[in-house]
Amino acid sequence: MKNRLKLLRVERGWTQEQLGQALGVSRQAVNALETEKHDPSLDLAYRIAVLFARPVEDIFDNPHA
Amino acid sequence: MLDLGKSNSSAHRRYVVRTLAFMSGYVAINVAAIFGAFDDIGSPVAAWLLALAVSAPVVGQIWATLALMNESDEFVRALTAKQFILAAGAAMAIASVWGFGESYAGAYHIPAWIIYPLFWACFGVIAPFVRSSR
Repeated sequence: MKNRLKLLRVERGWTQEQLGQALGVSRQAVNALETEKHDPSLDLAYRIAVLFARPVEDIFDNPHA
Repeated sequence: MLDLGKSNSSAHRRYVVRTLAFMSGYVAINVAAIFGAFDDIGSPVAAWLLALAVSAPVVGQIWATLALMNESDEFVRALTAKQFILAAGAAMAIASVWGFGESYAGAYHIPAWIIYPLFWACFGVIAPFVRSSR
């Protein structure tokens, strides 16, 4: 799923490891999200949205829209 | 076993400890058997107890793999489950072909426990090609 996660992370100067710790997932999971190898669950998508204080659809493109 | 080279999560650390513990027991029992520790087993009950003792670490290691999936984050869980399912399917397919080869084509007999190392061999071949949870 196309997303702006890497851009948002880099803007804040965070590493994948730091973002993973903030979200409660592994660095591999963050990397998989950024490289579109994993579509997040709704729960994880909402956690990411809360962390960056943005709506989910600002971070993840809706593939059905 | 799983390739954990780039991971350091607590779930992965528990997996490594559990796998090493179970495999230590497995190796110890088999080394004892190779050196004749169980050569004098006479009764069927004792023989079955030995069979259960050898297979218990294998069951434990399978549990450790399933526990890793349960305790990991959603990406590692999905990826490992996908690799596990594909490897199990490949191992069952190979075992079925060989089994019917035994039944109909005179292939020599292979003990059923070979499915366990066969599964991990399939896992090792398949895992590098399965890097996406989708």
